[in-house]
Amino acid sequence: MPAPQPPAVEIADLSFRYSGAEQFALEGVALSVNQGERLGILGPNGGGKSTLLKIILGLVTGYQGTVKVMGLPPTQARRTGLIGYVPQRAEVETGMPVSVRTLAGLAASWKLNPLLPVPARVRTNVQRVLDLVGASAFADKPIGALSGGQLQRAMIARALACEPKILILDEPTVGIDAPGQAKFAELLTTLHRELKITILTVSHDLRAIAAGSDRVACLARRLHFHDSPNGLTPAVLSELFSHELVGMHVHVHSSSEPCPLDHPAGASTTSVQLGISASRTTKPADAEGGGA
Amino acid sequence: MKIIEWLSDEMTRQLILPPMVAGLGVVLLCAVLSVLVVVKRMAFVGQGVAHSAFGGIGLASVISVLLSAPAWAGHGSVFELVVVVAFCVLTALGMASVAERRGGAVQVDTGIGLFLVASMALGALLVEAARQIASAKGIPAATQPWESLLFGSILNASWSDALAALSIGSLVLLTLFLLRRGMLFYVTDESAAEAFGLPVKLYRTALMVLLAIATVVAMRLTGVVLSSALLVLPGAAALKLSRRLGVVMLLACVLGVLGVLLGLTLSVQFNVQAGPCVVLVLTAFFGLSLLKPARIAPTAPTALAASGAAGESQAISPR
Repeated sequence: MPAPQPPAVEIADLSFRYSGAEQFALEGVALSVNQGERLGILGPNGGGKSTLLKIILGLVTGYQGTVKVMGLPPTQARRTGLIGYVPQRAEVETGMPVSVRTLAGLAASWKLNPLLPVPARVRTNVQRVLDLVGASAFADKPIGALSGGQLQRAMIARALACEPKILILDEPTVGIDAPGQAKFAELLTTLHRELKITILTVSHDLRAIAAGSDRVACLARRLHFHDSPNGLTPAVLSELFSHELVGMHVHVHSSSEPCPLDHPAGASTTSVQLGISASRTTKPADAEGGGA
Repeated sequence: MKIIEWLSDEMTRQLILPPMVAGLGVVLLCAVLSVLVVVKRMAFVGQGVAHSAFGGIGLASVISVLLSAPAWAGHGSVFELVVVVAFCVLTALGMASVAERRGGAVQVDTGIGLFLVASMALGALLVEAARQIASAKGIPAATQPWESLLFGSILNASWSDALAALSIGSLVLLTLFLLRRGMLFYVTDESAAEAFGLPVKLYRTALMVLLAIATVVAMRLTGVVLSSALLVLPGAAALKLSRRLGVVMLLACVLGVLGVLLGLTLSVQFNVQAGPCVVLVLTAFFGLSLLKPARIAPTAPTALAASGAAGESQAISPR
């Protein structure tokens, strides 16, 4: 990659505390994402992922340290349309009677002159991204009639219709079944290949991150790890998920064999291809540490 | 049918046509907004704004008697309308600022309820104050009967009322037309809209202000208690019937217009108040729309029921 290109996202010594909060939500975070790279940000709930996302999107200001998006301050980058954001699906009002095509055009069309119809250029572009994400078959369906995976594609199309340089996905796999997740990983790979776009995926789910990332950053208030997914050792995961969290423990075993540890009744277990399983328990003894 | 007789007689036509035109203007405005209100679950905001009109009416009465009750500041005057609209818009802005603090000290519906009861209480005291000032000054206190405030007096509408309803309605709809693309984004997916640079605060405030204006105009037709019905029922029924935005908007308008025409017909026929007739007809339409197999997420009826119940109890208790 030629030297003068600024990194897609560059964060140095970032700390942030919500007003009135005693603890920092983010502390001393340094992170660099090259253009065209796929970075997964993995972390437990409450680990500062959403805050980091809001800072990159320019929605939260008043932080210490420096944050640059394509060499610009985040608020400016957002206004310039450099970022395509795919929020969690639950936030969409699916009761709104609009089609996938309309949804996909929302972000690209709100700035247009209201006295004129949407120009052909924008319409063609929306059709192009609908094709690209594989949503043209259901483009005229109302959004209330879609499956989770279909709605996700529609939202990715909406982000891509703005021709962003960076695509940011917030918890993309929540509520999507295993076959759906495999398809989703495939889609991201295709988008990355076709558009050479930088992709940032934020999730608490190891599977979402491991599926399509060149590098992984593990975030629990501080940045714990920042490298290729193959380097995600049990020690790192264990440190990450036990950090100020209620009874979360992580250990490694082969994905074919049963877990050697006794999980308390009611614990939810997540196993991934890496052979790592993270289980979350609600044992009172473990709960003492997390005072949220 | 009495309504036909009324319309065919020159004298009575002049009585029934202005309310009809005013009613149609109001209902078209409310029908379009009601779709957004239902999807965005803002029914309670409509209730809150409508009830805060009490404060505006009280304020207008006090100003009027302080000025020794000039003719231009009486009840039903443009002056009163302006004061009430201004008061309601301010309340709506207050509610919008509360609604912004997501996860803050005050929950959104608590904030709305707070504005609602505070301005109603203020209105009750101000109306009483106006009465006392008037009797001290020895001038007649032109206080409006509570019943017409609560349930409206559309049948008394004059041509100037109709003109006011039509022009305010057109202005609100024109504003909505100019903001339509951003508003669609805001209503469909607020948090994403913000991330894509949409000035969410501006759109939220604009929607609240438009809603406040529509509520005040609707209040003249159906009164405080029932005005928010116009801002919920047409949209709620239309959303049950279609999932195409254009069709939903059109259906909401058609149902609204039918509701006003049928409601007025019933009102004239049986010599009863028009506002409640219109609202009951619209409620019947909504009931009929439920007969269609459900395809839309069940947000519409829930929002309606919740706001209706909350609004009613708070509306009646101060009396």
